[in-house]
Amino acid sequence: MGDLSQSERHEVELMLEKHPELRYELNEIEKALQSYAETHAIEPEANLRDKVLGTLDIKEEASVKTLPSVNTSTKQNNFYKYAFAAAVALLLLSTIVIINLRSQLSESHQRIAFLESSNQKFSSRASYIEKELSDVRHTLEVYQNPEDFKMVELKGMPKAPDAKMMVAFNPQKEMVMIDLASLKMPVTDKKHQYQLWALVDGKPVDLGVFDMKADSTGMIKMKPVKNAQAFAVTLEPMGGSVNPTMDEMIVMGSI
Amino acid sequence: MSKKNKISLPEAELIKAIRNKERIGSEALYDMYSASLYGVISRVIQDEELAQDLLQETFVKIWNSIGSFDETKGRLFTWMVNIARNLAVDKLRSKDFRNNSKNQDIENSVNLIDDQRNTTLNPETLGVKEMVNNLKPESKAVLDLVYFKGYTHSEASEELGIPLGTVKTRVRIAINTLRKLFN
Repeated sequence: MGDLSQSERHEVELMLEKHPELRYELNEIEKALQSYAETHAIEPEANLRDKVLGTLDIKEEASVKTLPSVNTSTKQNNFYKYAFAAAVALLLLSTIVIINLRSQLSESHQRIAFLESSNQKFSSRASYIEKELSDVRHTLEVYQNPEDFKMVELKGMPKAPDAKMMVAFNPQKEMVMIDLASLKMPVTDKKHQYQLWALVDGKPVDLGVFDMKADSTGMIKMKPVKNAQAFAVTLEPMGGSVNPTMDEMIVMGSI
Repeated sequence: MSKKNKISLPEAELIKAIRNKERIGSEALYDMYSASLYGVISRVIQDEELAQDLLQETFVKIWNSIGSFDETKGRLFTWMVNIARNLAVDKLRSKDFRNNSKNQDIENSVNLIDDQRNTTLNPETLGVKEMVNNLKPESKAVLDLVYFKGYTHSEASEELGIPLGTVKTRVRIAINTLRKLFN
């Protein structure tokens, strides 16, 4: 009944929120009143039906709905067509750019590889030149100071009777040089190297390793030694040995 | 007997159809409720032509303001009756028939309307009508003022010359009687 007067309506709504079971009560009351009203129903004149219904704003199904949909679908179609075309164009462009970049990249890689190998060649050439320079300097030293250097001739041992070698020895400066031009020894292979020894007080002292190559010139500076009585060369495994392999002695010579 | 078949929809579907402004919603609405609403309007406005205009106005208003109907707050019929009644009462006040209609003998006017008008010959409600007529005159009077004419309890107590508490009691009793009657 509170629904029927404005002021009480709000109260009722609050109560309904608090107590949902009141909804049922209210519904029952409304139903009863509705039935009561229906007993007082008066049928209006027949022609009033069309008149009343005619004034209502009714959404007709057929024509109204299709027009908007045609417009929107055309608009949508156009949009999608353009969007698709744009996407395809973008894809093509991207593909071309990528192919271009790839070939550029490949070219760059090639150039880098080439430069790297060139660089390596230069490096190895440079170090070779450095070594040669060092050798020349050493040679120069000997030739500029002949009085300081003793030339020791090493003669071939039974193992290599025709082998010969010259060693320049400067006791004051403790310098030992091998004259490569004078080397007459078998060429060493990859697994072996020649090792120079100095005999000091009866014991062999390692003076370093060297290779015998076909047409080497210049002098190699070996390790320093002071009181050498004799020099000898043995054939050792690549890198040298701690002690000389006596039966691989190639040349020997005393001071 | 009506020539056409009357269209009827369950309440939830009816509300949905009206919200979607479908033709079937308007037809069902009219077929189901025009008589009841016309009856409510007629209790306030006796003039037939005016009552018909008001019925049309009522339907237009229901149709256009369905958006403000909240089914969680009550039944559709209650909401529609309020619209019908308010339109009728406003029309009454604007035409300044106030003095005349209020001073009419309430009981007599109620009986007068029932006897003279083309009341519905719905066989379902025929037996019920007789029972309703057996309601105590106090109940009928109070219901008429408060439910059909939209009087507040205080206005009704003033009109009938009885205390406010009595009005409230009579309303409560009337509703209980109606509930028993219709259940």
